[in-house]
Amino acid sequence: MERKIGVYICECGPNIAEKIDIDKVIDALLPIEDVTVVEKFKLLCSAEGKKYLEEQIKKQDLTHLVIAACSPTEHEKTFMEVCENSDLNPYLFQLANIREQCAWITEDKDEATKKAIRLVKAAIGRVRYHSSLEKKEIESNPDVLVIGGGIAGIEASLQLASSDRKVYLVEKNSSLGGLVTNFEKTFLGMKSASDVINRKINDINTNENIKIFTNSEVEEAIGFFGNFEVKIKRTDNENGSVEFDVGAIVLATGSTLFNPDKTPRYGYGKLDNVLTSLEFEKMNLSGKITLKNGKAPKSVAIIHCVGRDEKGYCSEICCMYSLKFARYLVDKIPNIKVTNFYSDLCIPGKTYQKFYDETKGNNVEFIRSFDVEIIKKDNQLNIRYKDENKVKKSLFADMVVLSPAIEPAIDASKVAEITGISQGEEGFFAEEHEKINPISTSTEGIYIVGCAQGPKNISDSVVQSQAAAGKILSSLVPGRKIEPEVKTSQISESFCIGCKTCISVCSYGAITFDEAKKISVVNEVICRGCGNCVAACPSGAASLKHSKFNQIYQEILEAVK
Amino acid sequence: MAEKFEPRIVGFLCNWCSYAGADLAGTSKLKVPASLIPIRVMCSSRVDPVLIETAFLEGADGVLVAGCHPGDCHYDEGNYYTRRRFAVLKKVIEGLGLESDRLRLSWVSASEGQRFADVVNEFNDKIKKMGPSPVKKNKSL
Amino acid sequence: MKGKNQNTDVLVIGAGIAGIEASLMLSKADRKVHLVEKTSYTGGNTIKFEEVFSNMECSTCMVAPRQQELLQDKNINLLTLTDVKEIKGSSGDFTVKIIKKARYVDMNNCIGCNACFEPCPVSLKNEFEEGLSDRKAIYVPCAGALPNVPMIDTDNCLRFKDKKCTACQEACMFEAIDYDQKDEKIELNVGAILVATGYNLFDSKKLNNYCYGKIDDVYTSMEFERLYASNGPTEGNIVLKNGKAPKSVAIIHCVGRDEKGYCSSVCCMYSLKFNHYLKSKIPEVKISEFYTDLCIPGKSHQKFYEKMKETKVNMIRASDIKVVKKDKDIAVEYRNEAGKKSMNSVDMVILAPAVEPKDDASKLAKALGINLDEYGFFKEENTDVSSVISSKTGIFIAGCAQGAKNIQDSVSQASAVVGKILSMSN
Repeated sequence: MERKIGVYICECGPNIAEKIDIDKVIDALLPIEDVTVVEKFKLLCSAEGKKYLEEQIKKQDLTHLVIAACSPTEHEKTFMEVCENSDLNPYLFQLANIREQCAWITEDKDEATKKAIRLVKAAIGRVRYHSSLEKKEIESNPDVLVIGGGIAGIEASLQLASSDRKVYLVEKNSSLGGLVTNFEKTFLGMKSASDVINRKINDINTNENIKIFTNSEVEEAIGFFGNFEVKIKRTDNENGSVEFDVGAIVLATGSTLFNPDKTPRYGYGKLDNVLTSLEFEKMNLSGKITLKNGKAPKSVAIIHCVGRDEKGYCSEICCMYSLKFARYLVDKIPNIKVTNFYSDLCIPGKTYQKFYDETKGNNVEFIRSFDVEIIKKDNQLNIRYKDENKVKKSLFADMVVLSPAIEPAIDASKVAEITGISQGEEGFFAEEHEKINPISTSTEGIYIVGCAQGPKNISDSVVQSQAAAGKILSSLVPGRKIEPEVKTSQISESFCIGCKTCISVCSYGAITFDEAKKISVVNEVICRGCGNCVAACPSGAASLKHSKFNQIYQEILEAVK
Repeated sequence: MAEKFEPRIVGFLCNWCSYAGADLAGTSKLKVPASLIPIRVMCSSRVDPVLIETAFLEGADGVLVAGCHPGDCHYDEGNYYTRRRFAVLKKVIEGLGLESDRLRLSWVSASEGQRFADVVNEFNDKIKKMGPSPVKKNKSL
Repeated sequence: MKGKNQNTDVLVIGAGIAGIEASLMLSKADRKVHLVEKTSYTGGNTIKFEEVFSNMECSTCMVAPRQQELLQDKNINLLTLTDVKEIKGSSGDFTVKIIKKARYVDMNNCIGCNACFEPCPVSLKNEFEEGLSDRKAIYVPCAGALPNVPMIDTDNCLRFKDKKCTACQEACMFEAIDYDQKDEKIELNVGAILVATGYNLFDSKKLNNYCYGKIDDVYTSMEFERLYASNGPTEGNIVLKNGKAPKSVAIIHCVGRDEKGYCSSVCCMYSLKFNHYLKSKIPEVKISEFYTDLCIPGKSHQKFYEKMKETKVNMIRASDIKVVKKDKDIAVEYRNEAGKKSMNSVDMVILAPAVEPKDDASKLAKALGINLDEYGFFKEENTDVSSVISSKTGIFIAGCAQGAKNIQDSVSQASAVVGKILSMSN
């Protein structure tokens, strides 16, 4: 079919008209063979301008459109819509930036005009090689798999489930609730933890849109956003695996505590009455805080930051739960003395300082200390430490509670492997972007919430679960098809040599290897269109739609003339 | 009559950072040499060694590749690959008979309009001093 | 279950990072969003930063694509220079009265060429630049502000003080300047409301011991952010009032902490970020950070701290801090960890003031009929369980409007609100 390229130059008021001799540009372009029309217009992005373009496309029967105006970041989308409205494929269009990167960067009109001519010619050269590209639409499954039945997983399930969206909640243990079931109270308001968690468990048990699988774990989760195939199996030696499809997956696998066995200086496992915070929570919940000999302790030392140096991060919640422990003790054991050994007080929430000020007092002391060591001396536990002035001191206590660092759950790595998610160096699941995308991962459709993402308190875990629900509810709408990226990569079967280099460079796992044909295949639903694989491909088999070699080559030709 | 040497510089700019930075240079009305013709790519990692070699073989006096600062890549790690490829490319360019300084890699963020202008001005001056590229395709063939 | 005649539109108050996130997500779910913003620009405080911790990413690169998306999104009705006056009704059916102040520039005609600034005869301190540089009466707050359309500051514009000046209108080739624009009273109907109004910094002038505002070269963290910003008043050059680069800098944490009664959660991290800023421009500069407790929770933050420590920053745990002028220098007097009186001589001081709610938080709370907590932040319904639900059903809160927090947590809360809103109609 005969090519008819329409070229329209925007004056943009004085911005382009005064800086570039537009008539000279028009004269330079008119002789080009397949350029049907070259016109200028006052302001192409205005309502009139758009109407004019739409009329022109139809009147001139254009097959391609080139506009010379401002930056594509401003109006590429605008003009693509103009194309769509005139039944011209929006990808048969190129915008030449003769404003920000031409008219506005020089006072020399002659120089700007010459550059503008080159830029528009480059756009014309390029557009000849553009292909029509169509929007893709794929069916998607709105259902969700939630891995982990602690408070984060439960919250996510409750927010997501509805009559047109099923949630499959998989929990490796025999009951739901996770770590929170071990607490009597939550810090902040010292509210009943069981009220909080039991209410949620009740809600989830009575929700007919949530299917719960306890004593189960995920064996396989293969696929991509909108289309994951999941297989789960029992962890309690019972037979029966279950398979189902979902559109999104939420990882809420929680955390575990750093094992103080690794830091022998605290005497954990060797000396009596040295407990981890979780052991203390359980003891407190059972109703009686006692020493090994059955008696109530008269003094308790709480050691913060256990394993902090080894892990390399602050676990955020320990200072606050240590305050909670002080309150448990002071409320339950008259005249008890509680001493907190800490390094830096981490109390960033708005009501945390008040909680600290009200907890600290006659019976609750805070000692900034370093090089803490627990030994047995005179048949008692003795805490040796250096104070802020590096002076060696020591203190006796009946009981020592250690606040160990928070680590990802033991099977986090297994879950990461099954779902194809990365873990950071500390072992927590890696988010897509530390600041503005902390819930998403680089695999679209897989989200990370709660302590699986990083140490945090109940309130922040719940927020993240609600956030993951927000992400899923807004992007995976029942009945709505998914529109993935149009300008994706593709790999030519005949040129692919099966070296898998492209697979190794793709940050999104968008390329898989077809073992039968021994070639790489791009999943166009996952591909984000960066083009890294194209540059990496040694045989030239990979190409990027709308950014092909032959298209860029045309721009290079004009650039060097 | 000696013709004044006007360099021809091809600039591959990534959409999210450096192209936006180049736009900002324009919005801020900074002076940027007209010798650079920008070619927009989605990610600097799209910049194939073949594209760079083609640019030089077609007669470019200089080639600038600009991307997001390491760690800021819109596509996560693309610019790390650009950096690595670039190190190899410098050597390849020398093999073509070109001074390796004719190829330049710069990180320019979307807010660095001034920096973009500085980079291009400096590069342009350097290329001017180096003179036209010794490798130019024989156009009469 | 709800569902009958529930309005599914949403009002988002505040177009900072949290408001933008919520609006984009809601639009994706095909909800109509009215995004109301008090100032003339989007991006809030986040766009004032050059880089963000802990990956030191360019803040503009992070936010600008979202701002652009926002401007081009058909589901989002962005209303800048707009205030919420009153609401009536309840969840699913709120009637909101807003006042859209006149910009005096037509947003459809204006192409952002900035030609109208130069001829304006009025010059005054630019608030966005924390007073460190000037602007005209017709202005955009900074280069790259979005929407890229200026506004007329009628408090200072000559024409609005009955002087006959039409300099800007004459300079405009697009007939974009319209002195006849009027404030608009608009009524909106929405089903849910999100308050994401962000924060201010505690006014350091209230504390005499830092000499802020009394001696030169004592800056707040926000002022210092603008000094480092490449689109800022000094194009990113860190200089003293006398134009020279500082040789030694003191960064003082916890300014106003005792007065406010809480830890603002972000200051230790951004103070360490400042260390990076300073060293990147002035490698030989000596830096001392005066802090009480180092608050750096988060899996990647301690690593960042360790990296900063390698640049030989002097971390001083201090109390009783006093900043005074001493000859040509500034003396930071303090009590060190051992309780001994000490003094460091520096030529620049940067203060990290407490994060507070915006000045008009209480006015907005009253208009919406929701509660504030004792610190003036919007109060969440149930601290332990849901930090994004306000005291009124259907009204949500996110970001620093609810309490001091970093970008990651603000964005998470914004997403959580979207989760709550979208699941409400299930």
